[in-house]
Amino acid sequence: MTPDLSVTIAGVSFKNPILTASGCCGYGEELAGVFSLSKLGGLVTKSITREVRQGHPPPRTAETGGGMLNAIGLANVGIERFIEEKIPFLEKQKTNIIVNVAGSKISEYVEICARLNDQPRVDMVELNISCPNVDVGGIEFGTQPTLTEDTIRRVRQVFKRPIIAKLAPNVTDISAIAQAAEQGGADALAVINSVVGMVVDPHTWRPRITNNKGGLTGPAIKPIALAAVDRVYNSPCNLPIIGIGGIATVDDMVEFLLCGATAVQIGTALFVEPDTPVKIEAGLKKYLRGKKMASVRDLVGKVRKY
Amino acid sequence: MSKINSEETVVIRRRDLHNDYYSLTFGPLKGISRCRPGHFIHVKLPTSDIFFRRAMSVASVNPESRELEIIFKVFGRGTTRLARFRSGDPIDVLGPLGVGFSKPKKRERVICVAGGIGFPPLLYLATSLVAAGFDPKQIEFFYGGRSAPDIIERQRIRKLGVNFHPVTEDGSVGKKGLVTHHVAELIEARPDEKVRLYACGPEGMLRSTNQLGLDMGVPGELALEAPMPCGIGVCLGCVVPLTKGGYARVCYDGPVFQIGEVAL
Repeated sequence: MTPDLSVTIAGVSFKNPILTASGCCGYGEELAGVFSLSKLGGLVTKSITREVRQGHPPPRTAETGGGMLNAIGLANVGIERFIEEKIPFLEKQKTNIIVNVAGSKISEYVEICARLNDQPRVDMVELNISCPNVDVGGIEFGTQPTLTEDTIRRVRQVFKRPIIAKLAPNVTDISAIAQAAEQGGADALAVINSVVGMVVDPHTWRPRITNNKGGLTGPAIKPIALAAVDRVYNSPCNLPIIGIGGIATVDDMVEFLLCGATAVQIGTALFVEPDTPVKIEAGLKKYLRGKKMASVRDLVGKVRKY
Repeated sequence: MSKINSEETVVIRRRDLHNDYYSLTFGPLKGISRCRPGHFIHVKLPTSDIFFRRAMSVASVNPESRELEIIFKVFGRGTTRLARFRSGDPIDVLGPLGVGFSKPKKRERVICVAGGIGFPPLLYLATSLVAAGFDPKQIEFFYGGRSAPDIIERQRIRKLGVNFHPVTEDGSVGKKGLVTHHVAELIEARPDEKVRLYACGPEGMLRSTNQLGLDMGVPGELALEAPMPCGIGVCLGCVVPLTKGGYARVCYDGPVFQIGEVAL
């Protein structure tokens, strides 16, 4: 018997719980040269901003122990060209399309999501709330419960399909942010975004990326991400969780499901093995068969804690 | 189009070329029929302390045996590990990847400008042009380095029958000075000929070649190097600034760019 890999998040059906993470698969075009995107439960695009952004000058990435540090600088084509040039390709893909949205003001999130609401093939939006808010002196949206709630509430008014809030781990209490997102009207959470980090060259005394600080991703952050998923899952917040952070194998994925994630996103692993999602999907079927389980959904939150 | 994929293959030969230079040949590779001069492969290193694959330019291919050769110099952690491969070892390779060199026009004189460890893609280019029937005497192969041990595989280049011009900064082999200086002299000496530059090497040499091409109105192409996390165009980590503004991905839009295209 083939185990059932399908899951439902906020009313949206996913053929499997394996998605690609924002910033790790562009707009899908290059990855389609590696495997058929129909293999994916969903694809999350690179962050889309109101204007086109060229991104930071190189170097933008640095290798770290078990991962990487990056500050790409939200390089993207902007909402106008995204709709014109990228949506036609994405529309043809037999997978759920989730558009990640970033902004420096609440009004930018609202404007972009209103445009996306008119694109029926955009199944969900994922709000990148790890950006500095220029209206309040550069404080990141996602670090303050009130800013998180306000942003999502305003987007809720213009975007009629499900909203995912992507939470940053660089906060004192991530469950407080999760609850604020729920209050604001989010339908699901992506836990977590990258962890703030820094790498310096001991010979030149220069940071290894031009933005000085960046986001740490890859296997190095997996335990941090798992603890965050566990914390949110056990908080009063009832939203479904999409786990993300250092997932490279089916075992990694299972850990996230056990801690409470309904689905996962694969990010940095794509840079080492571009067909990771295909391998994990095959591995997941095998895992469930080995455990004599009928559905992947039966793993969610089943961690046996001490 | 067939899908790009990683595949595990086997190291067939490892040659110590001295002075920290090594050649590794491995195969058979399924994707080899796609491989063109200027392409690179992304090699996974079997050690947990090196996270990313390493991009290595292709030095030669054998389409019949489906073998591919890389030549590199031990420089950092990645190349140190790469030099430890022995024949019979499994090796995980993604590629060939990237945009390669375009073909010269029939009557054009081809000028290869190789600098140090930028030499492998030009060896591949010259070899495949000669194999395709291009007159080797129409190829000028400049190869610059600090001193004699930096100019490797000299016999192999000579065997192609191309006009070989080694250049060293200390004059220990070939002409003395900078390779681009001697390239400019050759172009000036043949004002009526159509020439095309193909260059790969250190940043300073590429910058001079780019400028030389612009100043003398000579078309050509530069193969760039950059640390690449993904190698397939998705991470946007390996970008270079363009003269028209914005950035291009070395791994996906390059590594080969036209002279004048990149802000070096």
